Amino acid sequence: MRGPEVTWYLGVAAFLFATGAFGVLVRRSPLIVLLALEIMLNACNLALIAMSRHHGRADGQVFALGVMAVAASEVVAGLGLIVAIHRRRLALDVDRLTSLRG
Amino acid sequence: MTIAAWITLAAPLAAIALITLGGNLLPRRGAGYVATAFTFVSFAAAVYAFVAMWQRAGADRSQVSTGWTWLSAGGFHAGMSILVDPLSVFMMLVVSGVGALIIGYSIGYMDGSDEERRFFAYMAIFVFSMLLLVESANLLLLLAGWGMVGLSSYLLIGYDQHRPAAIHAAKKAFIMNAFGDATMALALFLLIQHTGTLEFGPTFAHAPGGTIGILIALGLLGGALAKSAQLPLHTWLPDAMEGPTPVSALIHAATMVTAGVYLIVRCHPLFERAISVEKTAAVLGAATLVLAGLVALVQVDIKKVIAYSTMSQIGYMFLAAGLGAYANGMFHLMTHAFFKALLFLAAGILIHALAGEQDIRKLRGAGRLAPFTSLCFLSGSLALVGIPPFAGFFSKDSILAAGLDRGTLGYILFALGEVGAFLTGLYTFRLWFVVFRGEPTPFVREHFHRHHGKEGPLWMLGTVGVLGVLALIGGWIQFSPIWHPIANWLDPVAPPLANPTSTEEAIASALAVGLGVAGIVVAWLMYGAARVPVPRLAFVQRTLEHKFWFDELYDAVFSRPAAQLALALDRAIELPLVAGSLDALGFGAREAWSGTSRAQTGLVRSYVLALAGAMAALVIAFLVAR
Repeated sequence: MRGPEVTWYLGVAAFLFATGAFGVLVRRSPLIVLLALEIMLNACNLALIAMSRHHGRADGQVFALGVMAVAASEVVAGLGLIVAIHRRRLALDVDRLTSLRG
Repeated sequence: MTIAAWITLAAPLAAIALITLGGNLLPRRGAGYVATAFTFVSFAAAVYAFVAMWQRAGADRSQVSTGWTWLSAGGFHAGMSILVDPLSVFMMLVVSGVGALIIGYSIGYMDGSDEERRFFAYMAIFVFSMLLLVESANLLLLLAGWGMVGLSSYLLIGYDQHRPAAIHAAKKAFIMNAFGDATMALALFLLIQHTGTLEFGPTFAHAPGGTIGILIALGLLGGALAKSAQLPLHTWLPDAMEGPTPVSALIHAATMVTAGVYLIVRCHPLFERAISVEKTAAVLGAATLVLAGLVALVQVDIKKVIAYSTMSQIGYMFLAAGLGAYANGMFHLMTHAFFKALLFLAAGILIHALAGEQDIRKLRGAGRLAPFTSLCFLSGSLALVGIPPFAGFFSKDSILAAGLDRGTLGYILFALGEVGAFLTGLYTFRLWFVVFRGEPTPFVREHFHRHHGKEGPLWMLGTVGVLGVLALIGGWIQFSPIWHPIANWLDPVAPPLANPTSTEEAIASALAVGLGVAGIVVAWLMYGAARVPVPRLAFVQRTLEHKFWFDELYDAVFSRPAAQLALALDRAIELPLVAGSLDALGFGAREAWSGTSRAQTGLVRSYVLALAGAMAALVIAFLVAR
């Protein structure tokens, strides 16, 4: 069974990554930012798996599994933070959270 | 024998450990009892070592016992080793015996004062250091003991740490002694360079002569002069009287200040190789004994009078050691330890009873209310002046006789010593007639505080009584023309250079006793019967009251220029260069980073943009570069 060339997969991955990065940069709701982050991670996964297939080796797929585990835990932490922000009646707006100012 | 010597050394150390570790578990008085008991153990062990040595043959009496190698560098080794020989056993007996008596006295004197435990721990440290000094078998360990007695002297002078005068005196004593320690250390460096060892035996056998020998002897002499408060390093001793009276008695009269004499006698082969330095010691001793005797005439503080008299008597010992009459010097050291400690402690009873008053114009007549103390003080005074059969007569006169045996210089020193004898009689009995025989002042009548109906606590009276008897009979051990066990005892360690004949002894004695009595008579005429007015010579009096302006001189030559130099350096270097550069560094860093800190907006999205932009730029750069 042969699918399209690896270049197509990389093209899709690049498009997904750009979409995610754009979302992170322009959206102000932390929930959406988190979502966009997930898209970026999955773009990476796609690229990893495509290259793994291209070279006929399994290591890229193993990496993809690791990334999924990290993404899952990140979502847990991120959602927890969002709920905490909401509980403290703070605005759900990343531009209002500016305590990192130097 | 050596084991007993180790016990002598270790007992005070055990007392220090017990008092320090015991802390509050030990009752306040308990510290005093511990210190006294352990010092008595030390004394008993010293007596045992003495008896054991007595039974041995002459050649077998000198033993070195090494505990462990303390310091080892290349071919140079210095052990934690003690030397047990007639001289060290002699000193061990004096130090531990007089030390035990005086620490016992302190139980009464310090009773109820703050921090008694600290006092007794310091006293035990002193006894340990002094024993280390006299027992050490090499010069390095001796220097360690030398420094440690200086330290304990510093701690004890400044014991009353709330009085600025006491702290000042403690610092003065420490700094002047540090000068002596430094010259001594330089001498030791030279010895190591030229002999490769500091063990007494080999060092003395191979010590160089000539200029190097003179330098070595000068270095050691510097240490001895500072420790023993001789000209020109003497100004710390009168100030040291700020310490409690038992401290003055133990450290600044009986033991530590005589360490210089011990050093010269112990290292006499080094001094004999540089005979001019040894003669310098004798000359400085003679000068000190006259000068201190003169200053003592006008002092009004009872302890300072006794302090100057101590300087004067140590001058006699230096005279003896410098003339090569080593055994006579050591004999005078012993009797002086008895009668000078006695004078201090008897004065201490009066000071204690009168709430710390030391001015003899206020103390006038206090002795009349304390007959037992008066009796003991009289015994000490007669011993100090050298009236037969009191101790000083036997020890001082043979020092003077040694002067007659050593040529022209000897005659001059003899004359100075005889002048000193007259001054001794005068200043000692000035004190006696004013404080003990005068009409009691209203101050004394009102404030004399009896201790349970007695003159003082039993511990104090007991010690003073024992020393009073010793001041009477302590000199009978040796009467030079007829029997001389001390000279025989010390002969293997330090054979004398002067052997006065019986005729010379007789001349010296007759003159010294005559002049001493003359001094007493003059004192009686001026202060006792008041038949002759005290001569008033404004210039002389001012000179004496300012102690020949030594303090002012040192202040102008050393202290003030040093302070001014430090101040100038502070202004010229410290503030602009050191302090200023630190400020500049701090401000510079802050300026440099203030621009960067403005980039930290806190807007997370801008951070992300920067990250992504940087990443993209990197990727493009890589692509282009390929």
